[in-house]
Amino acid sequence: MNALSVLIVDDSSVMRKIVDRSLRQAGLELKEVFEASNGVEALARMQQNRVDLILSDINMPTMDGLELVRQLQAVENAKGVPIVMITTEAGEAHVVQALSNGARGYIRKPFSPDQIKERIIPLLQG
Amino acid sequence: MDSEYKGVSPNRVQLIISAKSSGLRGFVSKLAGLPREETQQRFTQALDSAAAEVFEMMVGTPLGPSDEATLPRVADYTAMIGLAGDLCGVLSFRCSHESAARIACRMLGTDENTSAECIRDALGEICNMVAGSFKAQVSDVAAQCMLSVPTVVSGKDYQLYPLVDGLRIQVSKTFEGALIWMTLDLHSS
Repeated sequence: MNALSVLIVDDSSVMRKIVDRSLRQAGLELKEVFEASNGVEALARMQQNRVDLILSDINMPTMDGLELVRQLQAVENAKGVPIVMITTEAGEAHVVQALSNGARGYIRKPFSPDQIKERIIPLLQG
Repeated sequence: MDSEYKGVSPNRVQLIISAKSSGLRGFVSKLAGLPREETQQRFTQALDSAAAEVFEMMVGTPLGPSDEATLPRVADYTAMIGLAGDLCGVLSFRCSHESAARIACRMLGTDENTSAECIRDALGEICNMVAGSFKAQVSDVAAQCMLSVPTVVSGKDYQLYPLVDGLRIQVSKTFEGALIWMTLDLHSS
Protein backbone atom coordinates (compact mmCIF):
# COMPACT_ATOMS: atom_id res chain seq x y z
CA MET A 1 0.00 0.00 0.00
CA ASN A 2 1.31 3.46 -0.92
CA ALA A 3 1.97 6.11 1.68
CA LEU A 4 -1.26 7.89 2.54
CA SER A 5 -2.44 11.44 2.98
CA VAL A 6 -5.07 11.67 5.70
CA LEU A 7 -7.27 14.32 7.27
CA ILE A 8 -7.96 13.90 11.01
CA VAL A 9 -10.86 15.93 12.37
CA ASP A 10 -11.35 16.17 16.14
CA ASP A 11 -11.76 19.09 18.53
CA SER A 12 -9.24 17.45 20.85
CA SER A 13 -5.60 17.94 19.82
CA VAL A 14 -4.66 15.01 22.06
CA MET A 15 -7.10 12.77 20.24
CA ARG A 16 -5.78 13.89 16.84
CA LYS A 17 -2.30 12.84 17.95
CA ILE A 18 -3.61 9.49 19.23
CA VAL A 19 -5.37 8.80 15.93
CA ASP A 20 -2.20 9.71 14.01
CA ARG A 21 -0.12 7.38 16.21
CA SER A 22 -2.69 4.57 15.99
CA LEU A 23 -2.67 4.72 12.18
CA ARG A 24 1.11 4.32 12.19
CA GLN A 25 0.90 1.53 14.80
CA ALA A 26 -1.63 -0.18 12.55
CA GLY A 27 1.11 -0.37 9.91
CA LEU A 28 -0.02 2.45 7.65
CA GLU A 29 2.63 4.70 6.17
CA LEU A 30 1.55 8.32 6.31
CA LYS A 31 2.83 10.81 3.74
CA GLU A 32 0.86 13.85 4.91
CA VAL A 33 -1.40 14.38 7.90
CA PHE A 34 -3.80 17.32 7.81
CA GLU A 35 -5.66 18.24 10.98
CA ALA A 36 -8.86 20.16 11.68
CA SER A 37 -10.64 20.86 14.95
CA ASN A 38 -14.17 21.07 13.55
CA GLY A 39 -16.21 20.58 10.39
CA VAL A 40 -15.68 24.09 9.07
CA GLU A 41 -11.90 23.78 9.28
CA ALA A 42 -12.09 20.33 7.69
CA LEU A 43 -14.07 21.64 4.71
CA ALA A 44 -11.46 24.38 4.25
CA ARG A 45 -8.64 21.80 4.32
CA MET A 46 -10.46 19.70 1.74
CA GLN A 47 -10.91 22.67 -0.61
CA GLN A 48 -7.11 22.97 -0.75
CA ASN A 49 -5.87 19.38 -0.46
CA ARG A 50 -6.42 15.87 -1.72
CA VAL A 51 -6.33 13.01 0.77
CA ASP A 52 -6.78 9.25 0.71
CA LEU A 53 -8.74 8.97 3.96
CA ILE A 54 -10.78 11.19 6.26
CA LEU A 55 -11.24 10.31 9.95
CA SER A 56 -13.69 12.45 11.87
CA ASP A 57 -15.17 12.79 15.32
CA ILE A 58 -18.92 13.47 15.51
CA ASN A 59 -19.38 15.64 18.60
CA MET A 60 -17.54 18.89 17.80
CA PRO A 61 -18.33 22.58 18.20
CA THR A 62 -19.03 24.91 15.23
CA MET A 63 -19.87 22.08 12.82
CA ASP A 64 -20.26 18.46 13.92
CA GLY A 65 -19.05 15.38 12.08
CA LEU A 66 -22.47 14.41 10.73
CA GLU A 67 -22.89 17.77 9.00
CA LEU A 68 -19.28 17.64 7.80
CA VAL A 69 -19.88 14.28 6.08
CA ARG A 70 -23.02 15.64 4.43
CA GLN A 71 -21.25 18.75 3.14
CA LEU A 72 -18.18 16.79 1.97
CA GLN A 73 -20.37 15.10 -0.64
CA ALA A 74 -20.29 18.39 -2.58
CA VAL A 75 -16.52 18.90 -2.30
CA GLU A 76 -14.67 17.82 -5.43
CA ASN A 77 -11.49 16.76 -3.56
CA ALA A 78 -13.54 14.51 -1.27
CA LYS A 79 -15.26 12.52 -4.00
CA GLY A 80 -14.52 8.82 -3.54
CA VAL A 81 -12.48 9.42 -0.38
CA PRO A 82 -13.52 7.02 2.41
CA ILE A 83 -14.76 8.80 5.53
CA VAL A 84 -14.63 6.97 8.85
CA MET A 85 -16.22 8.35 12.01
CA ILE A 86 -14.20 7.92 15.23
CA THR A 87 -16.52 8.79 18.06
CA THR A 88 -17.90 8.12 21.50
CA GLU A 89 -21.35 8.64 19.97
CA ALA A 90 -21.60 5.13 18.52
CA GLY A 91 -25.31 4.68 19.19
CA GLU A 92 -27.44 3.29 16.38
CA ALA A 93 -29.01 6.64 15.47
CA HIS A 94 -25.64 8.36 15.03
CA VAL A 95 -24.18 5.46 13.05
CA VAL A 96 -27.19 5.26 10.73
CA GLN A 97 -27.13 9.00 10.15
CA ALA A 98 -23.36 9.05 9.53
CA LEU A 99 -23.60 6.19 7.03
CA SER A 100 -26.60 7.71 5.27
CA ASN A 101 -24.75 11.05 5.02
CA GLY A 102 -21.87 9.33 3.24
CA ALA A 103 -19.52 7.86 5.86
CA ARG A 104 -18.09 4.43 5.02
CA GLY A 105 -17.53 3.19 8.56
CA TYR A 106 -17.17 4.08 12.22
CA ILE A 107 -14.87 3.27 15.10
CA ARG A 108 -15.98 3.70 18.70
CA LYS A 109 -13.72 5.49 21.17
CA PRO A 110 -11.86 4.05 23.02
CA PHE A 111 -10.17 2.05 20.28
CA SER A 112 -7.03 0.00 19.73
CA PRO A 113 -4.66 0.13 16.74
CA ASP A 114 -5.96 -3.34 15.82
CA GLN A 115 -9.49 -1.97 15.51
CA ILE A 116 -8.19 0.84 13.30
CA LYS A 117 -6.48 -1.74 11.11
CA GLU A 118 -9.56 -3.96 10.87
CA ARG A 119 -11.88 -1.12 9.89
CA ILE A 120 -9.67 1.03 7.70
CA ILE A 121 -7.46 -1.23 5.63
CA PRO A 122 -10.39 -2.95 3.85
CA LEU A 123 -11.76 0.48 2.90
CA LEU A 124 -8.43 1.52 1.43
CA GLN A 125 -8.06 -1.73 -0.47
CA GLY A 126 -11.63 -1.80 -1.73
CA MET B 1 -26.03 21.92 31.65
CA ASP B 2 -25.98 25.16 33.60
CA SER B 3 -23.14 26.08 35.91
CA GLU B 4 -23.83 28.81 38.43
CA TYR B 5 -20.80 30.52 39.88
CA LYS B 6 -21.13 32.06 43.34
CA GLY B 7 -18.17 33.90 44.76
CA VAL B 8 -17.85 33.27 48.49
CA SER B 9 -14.63 35.19 48.70
CA PRO B 10 -12.52 36.80 45.99
CA ASN B 11 -10.47 33.59 45.72
CA ARG B 12 -13.12 30.96 46.31
CA VAL B 13 -15.54 29.53 43.79
CA GLN B 14 -18.48 27.21 44.20
CA LEU B 15 -19.90 25.47 41.17
CA ILE B 16 -23.49 24.40 41.47
CA ILE B 17 -24.12 21.88 38.75
CA SER B 18 -27.61 21.85 37.34
CA ALA B 19 -27.94 19.24 34.63
CA LYS B 20 -31.64 19.10 34.02
CA SER B 21 -32.38 18.33 30.41
CA SER B 22 -32.26 21.56 28.43
CA GLY B 23 -33.46 21.74 24.87
CA LEU B 24 -34.80 18.20 25.08
CA ARG B 25 -38.05 18.88 26.87
CA GLY B 26 -39.81 16.00 25.14
CA PHE B 27 -37.60 13.48 26.91
CA VAL B 28 -38.44 11.98 30.29
CA SER B 29 -35.58 10.28 32.12
CA LYS B 30 -35.79 6.48 32.08
CA LEU B 31 -34.10 6.47 35.46
CA ALA B 32 -37.42 7.12 37.19
CA GLY B 33 -38.77 3.70 36.26
CA LEU B 34 -35.78 1.66 37.47
CA PRO B 35 -35.33 -0.01 40.89
CA ARG B 36 -32.87 2.21 42.77
CA GLU B 37 -30.59 -0.41 44.37
CA GLU B 38 -30.29 -2.53 41.24
CA THR B 39 -29.65 0.58 39.18
CA GLN B 40 -26.99 1.78 41.60
CA GLN B 41 -25.19 -1.56 41.43
CA ARG B 42 -25.49 -1.92 37.68
CA PHE B 43 -24.44 1.64 36.92
CA THR B 44 -21.50 1.38 39.34
CA GLN B 45 -20.27 -1.73 37.52
CA ALA B 46 -20.78 -0.04 34.15
CA LEU B 47 -18.87 3.08 35.22
CA ASP B 48 -16.06 0.96 36.67
CA SER B 49 -15.87 -1.08 33.49
CA ALA B 50 -16.02 2.02 31.26
CA ALA B 51 -13.11 3.63 33.14
CA ALA B 52 -11.09 0.40 32.96
CA GLU B 53 -11.64 0.14 29.20
CA VAL B 54 -10.67 3.76 28.52
CA PHE B 55 -7.50 3.67 30.62
CA GLU B 56 -6.37 0.35 29.23
CA MET B 57 -6.94 1.25 25.58
CA MET B 58 -6.24 4.98 25.40
CA VAL B 59 -3.86 5.64 28.29
CA GLY B 60 -2.10 2.28 28.17
CA THR B 61 -2.15 1.90 31.95
CA PRO B 62 -4.64 -0.39 33.71
CA LEU B 63 -6.39 1.14 36.70
CA GLY B 64 -5.81 -0.38 40.11
CA PRO B 65 -8.29 -0.98 42.92
CA SER B 66 -8.91 1.55 45.65
CA ASP B 67 -10.15 1.29 49.20
CA GLU B 68 -10.95 4.97 49.33
CA ALA B 69 -14.66 5.37 48.78
CA THR B 70 -14.90 9.00 49.80
CA LEU B 71 -14.54 11.81 47.35
CA PRO B 72 -11.80 14.37 47.72
CA ARG B 73 -13.00 17.70 49.06
CA VAL B 74 -11.09 19.35 46.25
CA ALA B 75 -9.14 17.76 43.41
CA ASP B 76 -6.73 19.77 41.29
CA TYR B 77 -8.64 18.88 38.14
CA THR B 78 -12.30 18.10 37.55
CA ALA B 79 -13.50 17.20 34.05
CA MET B 80 -17.27 17.17 33.58
CA ILE B 81 -19.60 16.12 30.83
CA GLY B 82 -23.37 16.54 30.74
CA LEU B 83 -25.87 13.84 29.82
CA ALA B 84 -29.32 14.70 28.52
CA GLY B 85 -32.23 12.67 27.22
CA ASP B 86 -32.89 9.17 28.56
CA LEU B 87 -30.37 9.82 31.32
CA CYS B 88 -29.95 13.37 32.63
CA GLY B 89 -27.00 14.35 34.76
CA VAL B 90 -23.28 14.98 34.96
CA LEU B 91 -20.31 12.65 34.86
CA SER B 92 -17.22 14.06 36.53
CA PHE B 93 -13.66 12.80 36.62
CA ARG B 94 -11.31 14.13 39.32
CA CYS B 95 -7.62 13.75 39.95
CA SER B 96 -4.51 15.47 41.23
CA HIS B 97 -2.31 17.65 39.05
CA GLU B 98 0.39 14.95 39.04
CA SER B 99 -2.03 12.29 37.85
CA ALA B 100 -3.48 14.62 35.23
CA ALA B 101 -0.03 15.35 33.83
CA ARG B 102 0.84 11.65 33.77
CA ILE B 103 -2.42 10.75 32.04
CA ALA B 104 -1.75 13.37 29.35
CA CYS B 105 1.83 12.09 28.87
CA ARG B 106 0.67 8.48 28.52
CA MET B 107 -2.02 9.44 26.03
CA LEU B 108 0.46 11.44 23.95
CA GLY B 109 3.12 8.75 24.23
CA THR B 110 5.73 11.10 25.65
CA ASP B 111 7.70 11.54 28.84
CA GLU B 112 8.14 15.25 28.27
CA ASN B 113 6.26 17.85 30.26
CA THR B 114 2.92 18.58 28.67
CA SER B 115 1.26 21.98 28.55
CA ALA B 116 -1.70 22.89 30.75
CA GLU B 117 -3.81 23.05 27.59
CA CYS B 118 -2.85 19.46 26.67
CA ILE B 119 -3.64 18.28 30.18
CA ARG B 120 -7.11 19.86 30.08
CA ASP B 121 -7.69 18.45 26.60
CA ALA B 122 -6.64 14.96 27.69
CA LEU B 123 -8.86 14.96 30.78
CA GLY B 124 -11.81 16.23 28.76
CA GLU B 125 -11.34 13.34 26.33
CA ILE B 126 -11.02 10.82 29.17
CA CYS B 127 -14.30 12.07 30.60
CA ASN B 128 -15.92 12.04 27.16
CA MET B 129 -14.80 8.47 26.45
CA VAL B 130 -15.79 7.17 29.89
CA ALA B 131 -19.24 8.71 29.39
CA GLY B 132 -19.52 7.20 25.90
CA SER B 133 -18.40 3.78 27.07
CA PHE B 134 -20.77 3.94 30.06
CA LYS B 135 -23.63 4.86 27.73
CA ALA B 136 -22.83 1.91 25.47
CA GLN B 137 -22.90 -0.47 28.44
CA VAL B 138 -26.34 0.68 29.59
CA SER B 139 -27.68 1.23 26.08
CA ASP B 140 -31.03 -0.36 26.96
CA VAL B 141 -31.79 2.67 29.15
CA ALA B 142 -29.57 5.24 27.43
CA ALA B 143 -30.27 4.80 23.72
CA GLN B 144 -31.52 8.39 23.44
CA CYS B 145 -28.89 9.92 25.69
CA MET B 146 -26.77 12.77 24.37
CA LEU B 147 -23.43 14.02 25.66
CA SER B 148 -22.32 17.62 25.96
CA VAL B 149 -18.82 18.75 25.11
CA PRO B 150 -16.58 18.38 28.18
CA THR B 151 -15.68 21.14 30.64
CA VAL B 152 -12.51 21.04 32.72
CA VAL B 153 -12.04 22.97 35.96
CA SER B 154 -8.60 23.32 37.54
CA GLY B 155 -7.45 24.90 40.76
CA LYS B 156 -7.26 24.26 44.47
CA ASP B 157 -10.05 26.30 45.95
CA TYR B 158 -13.41 25.24 44.64
CA GLN B 159 -16.24 22.88 45.54
CA LEU B 160 -18.81 21.12 43.39
CA TYR B 161 -22.40 20.94 44.58
CA PRO B 162 -24.57 18.61 42.52
CA LEU B 163 -28.32 18.80 42.92
CA VAL B 164 -29.42 16.31 45.55
CA ASP B 165 -32.61 14.70 44.28
CA GLY B 166 -31.06 12.06 42.08
CA LEU B 167 -28.84 9.02 42.06
CA ARG B 168 -25.11 9.33 42.79
CA ILE B 169 -22.67 6.70 41.51
CA GLN B 170 -19.09 6.97 42.76
CA VAL B 171 -16.10 4.96 41.65
CA SER B 172 -12.59 5.50 42.95
CA LYS B 173 -9.57 3.77 41.45
CA THR B 174 -5.81 4.15 41.47
CA PHE B 175 -3.78 5.33 38.51
CA GLU B 176 -0.07 4.61 38.92
CA GLY B 177 -0.61 4.48 42.67
CA ALA B 178 -2.57 7.74 43.00
CA LEU B 179 -6.28 8.00 43.62
CA ILE B 180 -8.64 9.15 40.88
CA TRP B 181 -12.41 9.50 41.19
CA MET B 182 -15.40 9.29 38.88
CA THR B 183 -18.85 10.43 39.91
CA LEU B 184 -22.09 10.18 38.00
CA ASP B 185 -24.93 12.35 39.30
CA LEU B 186 -28.23 11.46 37.66
CA HIS B 187 -31.60 13.09 38.01
CA SER B 188 -34.69 11.03 38.49
CA SER B 189 -36.81 13.27 36.25
